[in-house]
Amino acid sequence: MIEQRVVEPLQLFNAKKEPQFITGSEAVREAIRRANVEMAISYPITPQSESMHLVGDLFAEGYIKEYFRGENEFAVMSSIAGASMAGVRVFTATGGPGTLRAFEVFSTWAGARLPIVCAFMTRGINSPLTIQPDTIEMAFMLDTGILMLHAETAQDLHDMLLSSFMIAEQTEVHIPVGVFVDGFFVTHTRDKVNIAPADMKLPPYDPYSSPVPVMDMENVPFRQMRDPFVMKSNYVSYSAHASWQQEVMAAAERARKYINQYLGELIETENPDADILLIGSGTAVSQSREAMAIARSEGFNVGLVKIKSVRPFPAQEIKELVKHAKAVIVPEFNRVGWLAREIKSVAEETTKIVAGPRVYGGMTMPPEMILDEIRRTSV
Amino acid sequence: MIKSMFQISPGFEDIMPAEYLELIENGPFEKRVGVSDLGAFKELLEEHPLCAGCGLALSLRLILASLPNPEDTIIIGSTGCSALAFPQVALHNIHSLFGNQNAVASGVKRALNLRFPDKIKDVVVIAGDGATADIGLDMVLHSWFRQEKITTIMLDNEAYANTGGQESGMSPKGTVLNMAPKGKTFSKVSIPELAREAGCAYVASVNPAQPKKLEKAIVRGILAARELGPTYIQVFSPCPTNYKFKPNETISKVRLREKEGTYETKEFLSTEARELFARLEEEKK
Amino acid sequence: MNQKISIRMSGLGGQGVVTAAHILGSAATRDGKDSTVNPFFGAEKRLAPAESYVRISDKTIHERGEILFPDIIMIFHPHVITLGKCYTMPFFEGLQKEGIIIVNSDEPLPLQKDDLTKLAELSARLFYIPATQLAIDLGGTDLSTNMSMLGGLLGVTKIVSRDALEESLAERFGGGQFVASGTTAALDDALKGKYTKVAQLIEKNMEVVDQASKFVTEYKLLI
Repeated sequence: MIEQRVVEPLQLFNAKKEPQFITGSEAVREAIRRANVEMAISYPITPQSESMHLVGDLFAEGYIKEYFRGENEFAVMSSIAGASMAGVRVFTATGGPGTLRAFEVFSTWAGARLPIVCAFMTRGINSPLTIQPDTIEMAFMLDTGILMLHAETAQDLHDMLLSSFMIAEQTEVHIPVGVFVDGFFVTHTRDKVNIAPADMKLPPYDPYSSPVPVMDMENVPFRQMRDPFVMKSNYVSYSAHASWQQEVMAAAERARKYINQYLGELIETENPDADILLIGSGTAVSQSREAMAIARSEGFNVGLVKIKSVRPFPAQEIKELVKHAKAVIVPEFNRVGWLAREIKSVAEETTKIVAGPRVYGGMTMPPEMILDEIRRTSV
Repeated sequence: MIKSMFQISPGFEDIMPAEYLELIENGPFEKRVGVSDLGAFKELLEEHPLCAGCGLALSLRLILASLPNPEDTIIIGSTGCSALAFPQVALHNIHSLFGNQNAVASGVKRALNLRFPDKIKDVVVIAGDGATADIGLDMVLHSWFRQEKITTIMLDNEAYANTGGQESGMSPKGTVLNMAPKGKTFSKVSIPELAREAGCAYVASVNPAQPKKLEKAIVRGILAARELGPTYIQVFSPCPTNYKFKPNETISKVRLREKEGTYETKEFLSTEARELFARLEEEKK
Repeated sequence: MNQKISIRMSGLGGQGVVTAAHILGSAATRDGKDSTVNPFFGAEKRLAPAESYVRISDKTIHERGEILFPDIIMIFHPHVITLGKCYTMPFFEGLQKEGIIIVNSDEPLPLQKDDLTKLAELSARLFYIPATQLAIDLGGTDLSTNMSMLGGLLGVTKIVSRDALEESLAERFGGGQFVASGTTAALDDALKGKYTKVAQLIEKNMEVVDQASKFVTEYKLLI
């Protein structure tokens, strides 16, 4: 283990970096090595397993103080919640069926104001059986209250993970962050990733910065209420829950400025004033880049919008961009087209939005599929 | 915890609830009190919202009075009748979901161990029979397999009472309950024996009709969990509402079952636990 | 080289197609190029079909996933063609014009007449190399089959430099633990067990590469 010193987050993020030719899973390891994580819990599922193997190696080397394999994803996400409630910085990861196995727990994290960082290596969900790339689990996760960042590359994955701890742990945010990454396309792909020196790490988590009591019998209050909400009047139950939920939603909105600070804007654009806009997230953006390059060489006026933060959603930004485009194409790696739905929910003229192309359950999206849509919308 | 933290800021005394003031003045923190002192100190459970004659409420009261180290005890509950009482318990306690109590407790215990390596922090799970023997059984067993240093207490009322009296794995064979309209077809699940085989250092089955015995089991279960590994205590807590007996018959029901031999008290100590208790006895002298 | 070169490697699980792709991609980055490498996204099982993909370019590579339109196809086992142990049918599906195919086989395989015609129409170049035999003869283990395949590739096209390839090999087996997947890590240890020293492993494998580049023979496709 390399002796590490605590540095300010921006000092780490802006440090002079060296390129490494590594997989997305290895990029997870390099982020967690520098994240000052105290505890991690793992459970195998393709294509996530390699990431948590490597986090286990960090535990063996001494970078993480506690690590174990749980019994299933529901249990792992519960144990992670327990550790977070007791005041330590935690990390875990899952994907696909594992995400759904744990689903009930995710819906409790934000309400409990837990600054958990969890990576989701997305994959298809049965039936029929598939273990291949697919982002459908993100559709299910949209309304769990957790913040959702979507990485395009291993570099994004690394940077988003490190930033997530800083975003999640702000007192005025203090809700979980999910970093989503397309399984295999990023996790198992070897690519160049620029990484800060290993002797730097993030500042430790201060549990008493939490807006709710830490479960350690070291801070008040010891008694929270006289009667449980569910046994009071419906009005009292409503008041308590509605105000609490609104505060959680407000916390997600307050995360915007920290996302801006650590990761730049919620979106990235290239040629945003073009006639045809490709709007995507994750590796659908990578395929769009290839398609855009070919389309431009053929004389089409095409621009690109990469959505980095799905929750909070860049509603105002997308609304403005859609307004100026003649056509919007939303390529996605899932069956339901959840991103197109999100975009349509904020756009004024939804008829110019092409909700596709979509590839799901396995293979990559040939850039030619996106090109076909560009040609079709240009007619 | 240090007791000085458990104070009211000057000027706020008049607006704090009376029972809270009483807890500060005469609570069990940093005192050696037990079930024999009930009535002489302010209890951790402030009334309770459960049914009249509720076996759970009585057991819970006795369990809380038995805690050897309440100022540093964190309780993990689960969904069910007992979850309704926990908001009124003056200890840090967690209700996460139905069945995940032992998984949550594993995380809490390991985290507190990292943060307070030199301090005793007792993590105690208190959940019902449905949470322990049915929906959360895998997580209960795995916490035992992993040798988590936590105490698991089941409040066994032999049914899903909070949802209206359905059969649970702990209901006796033949019992007619909701979702078992023709009577339960299989026997009560033998959790104490499973606990022993799964690696619990200390296992006991007790009831609130014998408060001193119950207290001894709770203390032993917590002390053994600190030093050795997981421990399990099953507390028979009959439900007058769903088993349809009078609220004042709860204790007599417990005694009857013990007499019939259908719900006996028992205790299992591992060799290490036996040695530990002998050593602690020795140190006390 | 200004354009992007896409390479598809097809073989059987355990033959080292993932490792070969990693070493090749890593060598390309050492030569100052951009490269991405990924395996087939499926369950890993020994002797089941296995594929990996390498993209090499002077420009940034964005495209993700399996290669649908390869410039070079490397077949690590005759069964990929003869028994159809392959994710793409026929095995040269998507091959670009003037593409290259390198097959591990001691002698030319009895390819379908239709296939040969189509390959000829594509102006493809078909090569055979007794890669497994060379691995056993020179490296002392069939686990070096992937290295003789890379040697064969260098014999046909100088897609990466020999020095970069050697450095990548050294890094792969000499340096920190490489992880493509859990199963691959287990195989690594098996290979290391065959050689007393890592240095010897690298030396032997580079000998396999060097010799193999001389043993690749072109099979003339006639229309």
